[in-house]
Amino acid sequence: MKRGAFAAFVGPSVFIMLALMTLPLLASIFLGLHYITFRNLDEPVWVGFQNYQEVLADPEFWDSLEFTLLFILAAVPARVILGLLFALLLDQITRMRGLFIAAALVPFVMTPVVGTLIFRDMFDRGGPYWYWMQQLFDYRLFMNSTTVPLLIIFHSIWTATPFAMIVLFAGLQTLPQESLEAARVDGASWFRQLWHVAIPHLRSLFVFIGLISIMDSYRVFDSVFVLTQQNPIFDSETIMYYNFQVALSFGRLGKANAMSVLTVIGIFVVLIPFLVMTYREQTEES
Amino acid sequence: MTRTSNPFARLLIYVALAFFTVYNVLPFCWTILNSIKLPKDANARAPRFVFSPTGENYSELWLNMSPQDFAPYGLLLVVIIFVLFVIGLSAKRIPAPDSLVYIGCIFAGVLVALWLPEVVNTAEFYDYLINSVIVTMGTLCISLTIGALAGYGLARFRHVISVYILVIALAFRSLPSLALVLPFYYLGQLSGLYDTHILLIFCLVAVNQPFTIWMLRSFFMEIPREIEEAAMIDGAGRLRSFVSVIVPIMWPGIITTGLFTLLLAYNDFLLARILTQINWTLPVGIAQFTGGEDPGHVTLAAAASVSTTLPILVVIIFFQKYLIRGLASGAVKG
Repeated sequence: MKRGAFAAFVGPSVFIMLALMTLPLLASIFLGLHYITFRNLDEPVWVGFQNYQEVLADPEFWDSLEFTLLFILAAVPARVILGLLFALLLDQITRMRGLFIAAALVPFVMTPVVGTLIFRDMFDRGGPYWYWMQQLFDYRLFMNSTTVPLLIIFHSIWTATPFAMIVLFAGLQTLPQESLEAARVDGASWFRQLWHVAIPHLRSLFVFIGLISIMDSYRVFDSVFVLTQQNPIFDSETIMYYNFQVALSFGRLGKANAMSVLTVIGIFVVLIPFLVMTYREQTEES
Repeated sequence: MTRTSNPFARLLIYVALAFFTVYNVLPFCWTILNSIKLPKDANARAPRFVFSPTGENYSELWLNMSPQDFAPYGLLLVVIIFVLFVIGLSAKRIPAPDSLVYIGCIFAGVLVALWLPEVVNTAEFYDYLINSVIVTMGTLCISLTIGALAGYGLARFRHVISVYILVIALAFRSLPSLALVLPFYYLGQLSGLYDTHILLIFCLVAVNQPFTIWMLRSFFMEIPREIEEAAMIDGAGRLRSFVSVIVPIMWPGIITTGLFTLLLAYNDFLLARILTQINWTLPVGIAQFTGGEDPGHVTLAAAASVSTTLPILVVIIFFQKYLIRGLASGAVKG
């Protein structure tokens, strides 16, 4: 493809992105280097990297990072494993497949604010889950600093597992039939087929789901906002939620923007292998 | 992979899947139940599954008039929707191109939706629905058009510049949405477009563009270039060969990307909240029912939740086959 044609194809998209997204990105970098609150919006004071120092020395920042990482470590593997399990079960049947998939899409497509509210109602006093737990196990669920973080993790598994399941199920439909046939002729069991044919074939999908999940988990906000009802006693602040508080409750816009920039950098570090792969793909001659 | 023929194992599989299904839909079903309850039933100590249902919440949400007066119009509406639905479902049997039939149905639906407030006194929630539909459709059309062009360009132009564009797009994508709030608000005030659909649409397009071009690019990477080269040798230009050769092959991929864009645009809360003052979309409209101690809010919020979720659910389930096919055709190999 020639340079001119390339510019014409990519132009509109790049233009609209640069026009609207450069300002926020530059604003974050700029404001991150200034002391700025809602009181001195017009005259920010240059403070260099002081905001960054402050963020890195802030124990609450590390607490929120710790919970975010815990959240990622618990939620992401659970989504992938459960997603794979149900994709494999779905692959075993043909009847009623559409029904099961449609049902799985319900928590996934629901507007996040709505989904979280509905989820909270189930566990709230008088909700069905709350009631059944009390009836069956004689356990009264209280919202406290143990249960709320668990609910946040459980909620993310509830909404995101279907996505993993559908992507992996789609991947299972494209398994190389020759390898499967060969494995079958050799008398390989279902588990060996899974281990030696299916899982290697799905590797890039696992990477894809993992990356998306990590990126989204790192930025989880809505569910924390609704499930904690903005009460700090539940000890379940994520990075984004803390960022929100620094900006709107404490009015420290400079510090909040420094955290935004750190978030972008953090996500890029996680994505390095993926970026290297893309670089190779794009520059190889063909 | 090999399917088990052991009847006991098959039974177990169905039981597990049924369990998974209940776990997925139970909260939504509970909300449907709540939405047809009176506040006293919804706020009971123990969950009530048996109660006398009421349509009050929905009529309070949607109408500024008594439900009795609305009944004939409601009946007419149900009939129209049913007819359009049947036509849509039997598109294959109608002697016209499928896509034409679908577009016709959607167009008729839009006309009916715009005509309704002329004859019936609808409440604000109906305006939110219309706003949501306009914003979502606008975002979808612009996003897919320019995204498909860019994705194709990036897939075909092997050069470092493409990498730069992709990486910058990723930097935009990873920017926390909180960082967008102030700049976008200023942009709105500066341009005088605050509280208009057009500004919200363009902001949503810009925010979703990174995802769209990344996903569409990986679709286009799968298409061998010989296909459009053949068309170009026959004398078609780049754009022509793209529109008439590549796009038809890519439909599943474009629909899959479109569904994700649709979700992102329809579900967006934060941008819609800061860029609008009265022209709210559904997620923003719902937020007003979430706080407060008013016991009536529980049932109203439930009715609003069901009303918001149903349209998107219907669309996604309708296109579910394309979704799976699109994902399977290698959209996600990157």
